[in-house]
Amino acid sequence: VSKPPALVQGTLDLLLLKILALEPLHGVAIGQRLMQVSEDVLQVSDGSLYPALHKLEQEGWIRAEWRTSDNNRRAKYYSLTRYGRRALERETREWHRLSTAISSVLKLEEA
Amino acid sequence: VTVHLGRWLSTVPLRLRGFVGRRRLDRDLDEELAYHVDCRTEHFLRSGLTAREARERAERELGGGIGVREQVRDTWAMGWIDTSIQDVRYAIRVLARSPGFAAVAVVTIALGVGANTAMFSLVDGVLLRPLPFPEPGRLVHVTGSYPQGGLAMLRERSRTMDVASYAAGHDFNMTGLGMPVRLGGASVSAEFFSVLGVDAAVGRTFMPGEDLAGRDALVVLSHALWQQQFGSDPHIIGRSIMLDGVSREVVGVMPAGFRFPSAGTQLWTPLHIDSSRTDTYWAGDYMPLIGRLRPGRTLAEAGAEARLLQSRLRPLFPWPMPPEWNADLRATTLKEAVVGDVRTRLLLLLGAVGLVLGIACANVANLLLSRGATRQGEIGLRVALGAAPVRIVRQLLTESLILAGLGAGAGLMAGSGGLRVLRATLPPDTPRLAEVSLDWRTVAFAAALAVMAAALFGLAPALHAVRSTVTDGLKSSTRGTSATGGRLRRTMVVSEVALAAMLVVASGVLIRSFWNLSQVEPGFRTERLLTLRVSPNQTACAVRDRCVSLHRALGAGIAALPGFENAAFINTLPLDGRIAKRSVVIQDFVLERNAAEPLFWLNTISPGYFDVMGIAVRQGRAFTDADAAGAAPVAIVTAATAQRFWPGQEAVGKRLKLVGQDMWHTVVGVVSDVRAYDLQHDLPPWIHGMLYVPYGPASVLEDGSLPVAVTLVVRTAVDQQVASEMVRQAVARVDRDASVSEVSAIADVVSEAAAAPRSTMLLFVLFAALAVGLGMTGIYGVLSFLVSRRAREIGIRVALGARRRDVLRLVVGEGAAWALLGIVAGLGCALALTRLLAGELYGVSATDPLSFVAAGLLLFTVTFAACYLPARRALRVDPVLVLRAE
Repeated sequence: VSKPPALVQGTLDLLLLKILALEPLHGVAIGQRLMQVSEDVLQVSDGSLYPALHKLEQEGWIRAEWRTSDNNRRAKYYSLTRYGRRALERETREWHRLSTAISSVLKLEEA
Repeated sequence: VTVHLGRWLSTVPLRLRGFVGRRRLDRDLDEELAYHVDCRTEHFLRSGLTAREARERAERELGGGIGVREQVRDTWAMGWIDTSIQDVRYAIRVLARSPGFAAVAVVTIALGVGANTAMFSLVDGVLLRPLPFPEPGRLVHVTGSYPQGGLAMLRERSRTMDVASYAAGHDFNMTGLGMPVRLGGASVSAEFFSVLGVDAAVGRTFMPGEDLAGRDALVVLSHALWQQQFGSDPHIIGRSIMLDGVSREVVGVMPAGFRFPSAGTQLWTPLHIDSSRTDTYWAGDYMPLIGRLRPGRTLAEAGAEARLLQSRLRPLFPWPMPPEWNADLRATTLKEAVVGDVRTRLLLLLGAVGLVLGIACANVANLLLSRGATRQGEIGLRVALGAAPVRIVRQLLTESLILAGLGAGAGLMAGSGGLRVLRATLPPDTPRLAEVSLDWRTVAFAAALAVMAAALFGLAPALHAVRSTVTDGLKSSTRGTSATGGRLRRTMVVSEVALAAMLVVASGVLIRSFWNLSQVEPGFRTERLLTLRVSPNQTACAVRDRCVSLHRALGAGIAALPGFENAAFINTLPLDGRIAKRSVVIQDFVLERNAAEPLFWLNTISPGYFDVMGIAVRQGRAFTDADAAGAAPVAIVTAATAQRFWPGQEAVGKRLKLVGQDMWHTVVGVVSDVRAYDLQHDLPPWIHGMLYVPYGPASVLEDGSLPVAVTLVVRTAVDQQVASEMVRQAVARVDRDASVSEVSAIADVVSEAAAAPRSTMLLFVLFAALAVGLGMTGIYGVLSFLVSRRAREIGIRVALGARRRDVLRLVVGEGAAWALLGIVAGLGCALALTRLLAGELYGVSATDPLSFVAAGLLLFTVTFAACYLPARRALRVDPVLVLRAE
């Protein structure tokens, strides 16, 4: 198995926000969902997932609450706040701008 | 920026938990990670690993969990503490760099916070704090006042509360321990202490039945009296002391803080309830009624019951009581009864001082705005370097908070000084004044004020600084203030002037009122008159003739002192707070149906009284020595009384008698009126006339006794201190047991009567002065700033030929326009608000036009001066220099 590429600095936040925008999830599920959606390309190590989540909570972009999970245990679910939703929009725009710019640079024909 | 702020605020609880609720956060994290490991273990189990391998794999994935925990904890700490420390450090550096600005801001806040803290601790101690008794909310006061018979009936019949009563102002001579001492005392019913819920610190209080005649030779001492007069003698219980010539056994000493009914109460004796004596039982002291609600009973029930019992009480009186007597009876809380009178006054003062704080905040906000403008470069740089606007707002707010904190600290110190001023200014009979102190509640209040003030003066300038930087970017023209800054600044200045105007108007109205009051002619001479209270022992008056000759000897002894002219005495001096009253039957006067006999203010005087006091005899004659000796019963009435009862007739020759007596007194003279009750009124509305009778064996008080303590009035030019000592010796020569108290010039008695309005007026003037001072510095500061900002514009104008007058008009005109706007707004608000003062005013309307006009003119002059100084500076602008600086 080839090692998945390291995530670009800052994009982890964007991805987490996007996934949580769909539905509230707990930590394990977030990691699984990320892999699943990106077809195993994007993988976040468990060691960096939790610090990132807590940082987003500190920023006021997501909020956490204890709920009962599918297997009937208490799990901490994260969901997006309205500030998080706005941040997501902003970051997404920013990402598109950036990636378009990068693609157009890469599309330059070598003479 | 506001979005950021809202988001930031939404995370405050979480951040606070990172600060104080760390343990719970840790537990949460453990649980969260444990859940993660469990889920992953299950996952690996399903993929075929053994239980042990699966768990090990899951834990390894998480890096053993320790690293993750550390990183998450760092996030929490970073969120709150680190940035806060950074902010504080930076703020202190910034403030230290401009100490002048910091000092002005701190002093301004200190003034505002100090004044408010002092006033708050006063309001807190007097109005807010519960009375210092157990379950104070269950203590009740029944309005009206009741004779012993009323108390006896109510305490026996009431089912809703335990009832007690007290007669304040029963002063005693204590003899047998060196010089006789005059002690403030209260006669109380046996249940007085148990109703209040306070037990003796040493010994006991009174037991039921001990207030009945024959069993009442007892006394309870205050803690202070026990300390001062008895050296805290531990064996005091059981000792007998001589009070007014009667031996009383000390049964208890109260705890130190107990001072009810007044701070001046030094001892408590039982009421002497004697149902066999109609006069004292039904017509003696009329006393207030207090009670403690029994379990499950409410104030409303107590009130209803008291009204019911009142209607059953009326027919028990030996004479018909008018139906209006206590007709509007109510039950209130005891606290309401104790402090109700001063509430309005204190709240008005608190409101006034709140306005001062408002001005202080506006001032500091202006300072910050101006500074924000000069710091635009710095802020712009930080934004350009990537600081989030919310971070900068937070930074600026931290600066404000530090300023406010320093100001509050200084204000707290100023407040303790201010409290001393307040206590010295307020009349000493203000209820609960002795209980007032600075404590943790005051500190908490000052802290809350500081935070509020910081938000008030810091937020708008901070938001503005960031917003204008963000829009202007680093374009950084340090010139030309932005439009919003100008608007904010203008709003601040206008509201400062408006607030100050309100206070000045209020002061003006109060000054006018006090002036009117001080111009009131009390109706007697106020120069070179010394008054003092002489109190022989009650026992000295057991034999009436002896008592009369004793008083005559006392008067003569004092009048014979070198430097003393004539002396006279009266049972109760006008304006000294005592009221002697008596129902009077007037011959041939037809009462309205069901009306009671008119109640008269009863003065018992020595023959020379009118002469010494300079009270004019309008008709007939004054009393003679023969009258005093009891030749034939005579009386003198005041002009207003004669007018009321014998309008258009000759009063001299009419006859009247005191209820309960058989002799008719013949009116021999009419004298001019005096202000006896207070400076505003001759008599309280419930007293119908004023009567003088000569001091003699036949003159009796309402309870049938001969007045023992009298107030001597002496004409003398001798210095008060010296005179006081001479008088004491002269009295001691006549009667060793007689005590001398309340030595004062009569002018002081009169001015004492205006103590409450004077203190209100003085404090308002003080606050107004503070407000005007702060307002002036505010305008001055803003205009100075604007002048320095517009130096270039002014330079160009001068270069283009503007004259001095034009430049002056430019600068002063702007300031004056703001001031005018502020004054108009302030006067408008004052028009609505001074109505609140109406109850405190005498002879002037709350919307007194003179005060409004004067306040407007004063403020305009003052603000104009504050504008003129910066304008002068504008004149010195040298166009060459300014333009070369480009």
